[in-house]
Amino acid sequence: MSSADAIRIDGLTHSYGETLAVGPIDLTVPEGEFLVLVGASGCGKSTLLRLIAGFEQPTGGSVLTGGAKPVPGKGAGLVFQQPRLFPWKTVGGNIELALRYAGQTVTAERVEELLARVGLHDVAKRRTWQISGGQQQRVAIARALAVENPLLLLDEPFAALDALTREKLQEDLRQVSAATGRTSVFVTHSVDEAVFLGSRVVVLTPRPGRIALDLKVGLPRSGIAADELRGLPEFAALRAEVGHAIRDRVTV
Amino acid sequence: MTTTLAPAPPAPPGSAGGTAALAPSGGLRRRLALRLLALVVLYVLWEVTARVMRNPAFIPSPGAVWDQLIRTSTEGYSGHSLLEHLGVSLRRIVIGSAIGIAGGLLIGVLLGTVGWLRVVAEPVVTFIRALPPLAYFSLFIIWFGIDETPKLWLLSIAALPPVAVATAAAVHGAPTGLVEAARALGASRWQATRDVVLPNALPEIFTGIRLAVGVAYSSVVAAETINGVPGIGGMIRDAQRYSQTDVVVLGLFAIGLSGLLIDSLLLSAETKLIPWRGRV
Repeated sequence: MSSADAIRIDGLTHSYGETLAVGPIDLTVPEGEFLVLVGASGCGKSTLLRLIAGFEQPTGGSVLTGGAKPVPGKGAGLVFQQPRLFPWKTVGGNIELALRYAGQTVTAERVEELLARVGLHDVAKRRTWQISGGQQQRVAIARALAVENPLLLLDEPFAALDALTREKLQEDLRQVSAATGRTSVFVTHSVDEAVFLGSRVVVLTPRPGRIALDLKVGLPRSGIAADELRGLPEFAALRAEVGHAIRDRVTV
Repeated sequence: MTTTLAPAPPAPPGSAGGTAALAPSGGLRRRLALRLLALVVLYVLWEVTARVMRNPAFIPSPGAVWDQLIRTSTEGYSGHSLLEHLGVSLRRIVIGSAIGIAGGLLIGVLLGTVGWLRVVAEPVVTFIRALPPLAYFSLFIIWFGIDETPKLWLLSIAALPPVAVATAAAVHGAPTGLVEAARALGASRWQATRDVVLPNALPEIFTGIRLAVGVAYSSVVAAETINGVPGIGGMIRDAQRYSQTDVVVLGLFAIGLSGLLIDSLLLSAETKLIPWRGRV
């Protein structure tokens, strides 16, 4: 494999008992790409992400991240659908814990800097239940960024948020991603979110999850306002293409 | 010991409402008034019953108990003042429950994390929990004599199971989502246990500790039935022998009221130590 491949997936399958949930899938993600996995509910996209994170093991085929078998906590930061913050720690304490696990020096400045990167200020001393759901998810992203892994994996992180908060977080994540250039895999069932965030969109078929469409998104990655981006004719065309790919495969 | 509902602490600034969302207990003033009223009613009932019965060996009047409070505090009873009796008993309770809680924590964490150990040891813990403390006290007397040692053993063994059971259940039922989040951040198994599983278990462990101290409290009288002077249980037993019912009642009050005090101390420690209780 080429050294520039952040993720390499070959003939990957995953079964729960007798049921084939995922695959076979072949997929190569080069460094710096923002890949969005999109598909209907239950198509195995979350399972695929957990396989890449090392939380699930392949039934067949292989997954390599950075050239090695993925191990949880080594090489990939993870953001879940729920923030999963530790309520016995303050907001800052949650970030500190991540820094400590990563073997980095823990300073108040570093914590503030990480929170600022996701657009949060003066919340380090707050309790996790004293900030809003959107802010909690921002903290979860900052926590995943703190570890400075080459990979960032996000499993429908904005699905539980209201529409306004979701759009704001999408814009901010797009900026953070452009600034850090980190290879990311983002799972969603929203077509709009997929086209807005991804530099590449992969549509999965319903169970078993296979690749139905693999699309490069040629939209500008930075220096463009969200409304302007959504207003581009290319954006609408891509949305339609991805939408069709999903609807054609849904047979319920 | 009493396990009355806590006087709700004032809500910390910035938090929306108390944690006991399902059981609002009304304003502080109203609750105080209610409690005072209940006390007055109880006192009147007691006074009336004592006067009607006219049998101080059966029900002593509040006045007689009050006189005994003054007498045992100044002249003493069985050679020791009331405070000495209470102090010795409290010391036994504190040492006994401290040992029991420490042991319960250790056993609970082991039971919660090591699968085969849980299978082997859980019935043993349940077995001990089912025994009345007096039943194994005889064994401790045979083993350790009649001095301080068997009493402390009794209280420790009585206090251990509630903490062990609560800890084991909470550790075993740790939320996989949070453990996974810690492991995704690179935590080792031990780090995930220390930073996620144990803090997550703390509210339940604390409930276990309150129960344990309560069990130690209710066992202290049993522990002091043999060679229990000084000690509030020994005092009660001596008074029973001479039918001094007023001293018996005084002893009961001393145990109950100090129990209330200790429980409220534990509760205020809990709200300080575990501000996230009910927030997960």
